[in-house]
Amino acid sequence: MAAKVEVTRPTKMELARLKRRHKLATRIQKIVKDRLSILIMEFLQTVKECAAVKERLLSEFQEAFKALSIASGYHGTVPLEKELLTAEMAIRVTSGMRNVAGVRMPLFEIEQAEPVRSVVKDPAETSSVLDHSTELSRKCLETIIELAELENSLELLGREINKVKRVNNALEYIVIPGLDVTIKYLTMKFEERDREEVSRLKYVKLLIEKKEAYAF
Amino acid sequence: MPSKTLPDRVIEGYLFDDVKVLNTQIPRERKTLEKLLGEDNPHVVCMDGTPHHFRKRELEVLSQITTDDERHTLLLPILMEVTSDRADIIIRTRSGTEAKIFSAVLDMPVTCKDNKITIFRPQLSVVRKKLKTTTQYVFFT
Repeated sequence: MAAKVEVTRPTKMELARLKRRHKLATRIQKIVKDRLSILIMEFLQTVKECAAVKERLLSEFQEAFKALSIASGYHGTVPLEKELLTAEMAIRVTSGMRNVAGVRMPLFEIEQAEPVRSVVKDPAETSSVLDHSTELSRKCLETIIELAELENSLELLGREINKVKRVNNALEYIVIPGLDVTIKYLTMKFEERDREEVSRLKYVKLLIEKKEAYAF
Repeated sequence: MPSKTLPDRVIEGYLFDDVKVLNTQIPRERKTLEKLLGEDNPHVVCMDGTPHHFRKRELEVLSQITTDDERHTLLLPILMEVTSDRADIIIRTRSGTEAKIFSAVLDMPVTCKDNKITIFRPQLSVVRKKLKTTTQYVFFT
């Protein structure tokens, strides 16, 4: 797409103003391009981490279900359900925000969770198999929280990258070329004006000399 | 009695004109590692008024790398200057503690020259993976 010349007043002040704008636009475009590259780097890193955490979560879920099946076989379904209903676990998640190159993303931090306490007093109704199963479930919960943070961050980064890409493209392909063309047009216009002025003055000088010659 | 902290010249160097406008993510005031370790909810306030929280685990990692004195002087977040004309990243430091941290994180020697540490863009991803909340970008021209 060819850049359009946009001139409001073809004056030297306007040319100076456009040159200042061009300098600022070029500077900002460089910063925006840097920001875009950094955001893309962060996005790709988050994608890798997300994939790794999802894989870990799947394997943890598999282990947790395996352990739960073993516990269910060992205790029986009804006592197991009773034990699970009465078990308590305190888990503290601190949430906050972190800022990455201007993008505000959530931050979840899991405090050290207390071990699962069972309110059932009868030790015959609990076993190490059940404890192992609950420990694996706790790990799954921690991984889910970690994944939630990463997926949310991914979405926010993606949106910001789209926005910044549009701004960068607008500056690089529309604003700056438009300013370049307008500055060139005005510069050529002033040069032409100067040349016309020089030839006009030469003609006037010639006329004055002729007049003086006739007067003599 | 807490000792008087030196002014943060690094932040002051980024608070002018369009650099300030285009970098609203940099904090208004940085805090020392010692102070952040003592807080229940460690965070700083950015130029746009939003909070930036630190992960306690990262602060603990940094406290393991640094000595007691270094914890009093190390200001967080560590600002990494990204310039379009350069392929490297500059970290301005006043005490050189950041060089020790980056050496530990990158597992290679990193030197401090004229209060400046230089790392390269491929190393940036390694640093950001380990220090997500304790490092921050600054875009400069």
